[in-house]
Amino acid sequence: MTLQQWILLSVVVTPGAVFLGFSFLWLLGWEAPERFLSRITGLVYSLATTAVAWLIWCVAAGGDHPVVVSLGNWFAVHEYEFPLVLLGDHLSLPFLALTVVLVGVIGQFSATYLHRDPGFARFFILLHLFAFGSMLIFAAGSFDLIIGGWELVGITSVLLISFFHFRSGPVENALRVFIVYRACDLGLITAAFVLHHVGHVSSFANGMPPVAGGLATVVGLLLLLSAAGKSAQVPFSGWLPRAMEGPTPSSAIFYGAISVHAGAYLLLRAQPIILGSPLASSAVMFTGLMTAVLGTIVGRASSDAKTSLAYASLAQVGVIFLEIGAGLTWLPVMHILGHAMVRTLQFLRAPSTLHDFHQVHAAAGGQLQQTGKHLETIFPPPLRLWLYRLAIDRGHLDTLLERLIIQPLLRLSLVLGRFDRLGLSNRTPAVIRQIEPLAKQGVING
Amino acid sequence: MADLSFPYLTAAVVIPLAGAAVAFFRKAHTRAASVIAASGAALCCLELFREVHSAGGFRLAEPWALGLFAADTLNATFLVLYSLLTLCILVVAPRRDTNASINGSTLLVLSATLAAYGADNVLLLAAGWIISALPFVLGPFTFNETWRPRVGLALSCLALVGAIGVIAVAALSDGAPQPFSLAALQGHNYGGSAAFALLIAAIVCRKGIFPAHAWIEDAAEAGPVLPFCLFINGHLGAFILARVVIPEFPLSAQGAFPILSDLALFTALYAAVRAVAELSARRILALLVLSQSACILAGLESATPEGITGALVHCIVVAVATTGLFSVLRLMEVRFGRSFTADHYLGLARYTPRLAVFFAVCGLALVGLPGTLGFCSEDLLIHGTLVSHPQIGLLLPVATAMNAVSLFRLFSRMFLGARSTVVHGVTDAAPRERWVLAAIAFFIVAAGLTPATIVAFRANAAQDTSRALVSITK
Repeated sequence: MTLQQWILLSVVVTPGAVFLGFSFLWLLGWEAPERFLSRITGLVYSLATTAVAWLIWCVAAGGDHPVVVSLGNWFAVHEYEFPLVLLGDHLSLPFLALTVVLVGVIGQFSATYLHRDPGFARFFILLHLFAFGSMLIFAAGSFDLIIGGWELVGITSVLLISFFHFRSGPVENALRVFIVYRACDLGLITAAFVLHHVGHVSSFANGMPPVAGGLATVVGLLLLLSAAGKSAQVPFSGWLPRAMEGPTPSSAIFYGAISVHAGAYLLLRAQPIILGSPLASSAVMFTGLMTAVLGTIVGRASSDAKTSLAYASLAQVGVIFLEIGAGLTWLPVMHILGHAMVRTLQFLRAPSTLHDFHQVHAAAGGQLQQTGKHLETIFPPPLRLWLYRLAIDRGHLDTLLERLIIQPLLRLSLVLGRFDRLGLSNRTPAVIRQIEPLAKQGVING
Repeated sequence: MADLSFPYLTAAVVIPLAGAAVAFFRKAHTRAASVIAASGAALCCLELFREVHSAGGFRLAEPWALGLFAADTLNATFLVLYSLLTLCILVVAPRRDTNASINGSTLLVLSATLAAYGADNVLLLAAGWIISALPFVLGPFTFNETWRPRVGLALSCLALVGAIGVIAVAALSDGAPQPFSLAALQGHNYGGSAAFALLIAAIVCRKGIFPAHAWIEDAAEAGPVLPFCLFINGHLGAFILARVVIPEFPLSAQGAFPILSDLALFTALYAAVRAVAELSARRILALLVLSQSACILAGLESATPEGITGALVHCIVVAVATTGLFSVLRLMEVRFGRSFTADHYLGLARYTPRLAVFFAVCGLALVGLPGTLGFCSEDLLIHGTLVSHPQIGLLLPVATAMNAVSLFRLFSRMFLGARSTVVHGVTDAAPRERWVLAAIAFFIVAAGLTPATIVAFRANAAQDTSRALVSITK
């Protein structure tokens, strides 16, 4: 392996190793001190940032030639292989850089923000797992490896939403998010299977193989399902405000920066496939457009800072989907990088919103003008009222999900439960009563 | 056929029996005696495992055992796994769950199950199958007033005895030289459809495949949870399918497996849907085990190398992960003083953070989280079933996704949320419990990071099984 390959491998693997090390030591009874945890985090991501910057420079200087790390197959059975391939190219390296920089920043911010919190160590351990999962998504050279990172990011997100687990609200919301994640992950799993067995594609490290026609449509739509779930696009947007129950630093990095853009990254990575199908690319654009409109409307009626920011974020990710569906590549990448940075800053400042407002208000001499009312004024009052209702119920998406999927499933489960209990009573049938004395005598134990 | 260097299988069967006798009659230091006996059996199985693999996966006969026992790559892993799981359960069991009767019966189940795994003779296999179920039918592991577990187990035993009887009569009337030898019976289809149907009925009853599924829930709810966990994790149903049904009845399997595979997938989904609104913690875990065990059967019946290997690896995942889950549940029940229901939050993680993490790790492995062995086995199972059943193969990932939701719901109700006012003085994992559960978690993660090792261990067994099936499907 060359030095560049070693560095790419180390950058991806180190957060996972740190996570495993701290987790097992904690399970065996060792509690790492706060300062030690934050220093290790700072050190790991400072080095990782330097390493990724160097990799970007090497790739740019080498004429955009990607760094490919092939570690063989993770496991293989018959003709099926799970390739372990990492890819550092013009698409993955900016995302890796974004991840290491933001995780480092969030780590430093959280060292103060969560000081003396009972969940301090848990937060940092999960932060490392999240970083590992994210880097696995961005550096993966195969869809199978993306699934690995995808699910790690999902479970970390859910565990951080329920971070304040001594209240029931965050835990309930974490369960709802988990349901959406697991349902939408089926799209990615099935897409990987279809690509393996129909398209005979297991790795895209040497470029995405040409896929067109019906196969491109099926794979494109399945990937869109997964991307929409992870990026909270319509009709799965309902989980995003629920996810705001987690601590502010995790909201910033998950729903302002990395996790919410993971869906967009997936579509960018699979863009050659999606553009091979007019139906799939139209579906991507339509989803993005609907989300952008919904995010704009709902965000304006949100009553708390984090939810308002979440919907603003959603609207931007919708626009990014629109750009990807239209066949643009560099614009969505730049859009993601810029948006992630700005939104992270906004989320981190969210707890100080009132303080900031008073400062700006005072600086303006108490003459701060209200902004953001222009859009409302152009609509007639009845339409405004209808839109307000729509915004208050967040596009009725959660209600629809509840009525169309969750409630029928629960009813079915209860009916099956009653069916299973048919014939079950505390009275033992006669034939069993006859062998009961044998059991009471304990034939086995004498 | 080459021989093992020592009768490890006989020793592995006899040592727990001797331990059971000591536990029954001495009635003092029963945990120590049981742990020593289970450790002895585990050491024999480990040594046997080493010899099988150094022999390149060939079938090895037991010396001086009259052709009763043989070891190969299929049963060597099961033998090691089961003996180690029994050891874990004997160590981790709370004090109130350990007495002469319980420990002795646990060792009896261990001995009988190891005999069934190692048997090269249908009579011995049937004896192991029946004796391992006896403590659950006659005592001491009975299920209070609930009758379905006893009926389910009795039916599975009767069906197996019937099948063996039909096979023996057919083999004897055909003048077979070794009418009870598994190796000699291969491919002869003795007993035809009748024997095949009885064997499948035995497997369906034992594994709890729909419509014979309800006894598993009842058994988990009403019976002693740790012995029940040990019993279902024997996966004797799946083992007999791979050891007896596929090699003996390749022609019958050709016609019946697509239907059986569909039935197994349906059971996986049925149990997953049932678990969604279930409130009893024990029933939820039983339904998850049921669903995942059905996935194993679906993988075996998919007739693809990926599906069969996935099923054999998933057997290990389900056994290890559910041992961890049921152990934590039982430890929590003992601390809490009663059974758990998932209708309100208890917030126990603040008292038992480590037990909560062990529960989460085992649960996530069961539903295929990356970094655990479950991810690899689920991946192979999904590929295998989707290849063989493109239309309904998708039920498997759907069922797994629903299982994950049910498991997270149970985890959150038990460990998260506002603290219950009835909880006082609950302590976290004691060192004895912590080390066993840490070993389980370590295995799940270490094997998950290097799954190729485990897959390679199962490769020969899977190849033999898939070769038999692929040859008949072509």
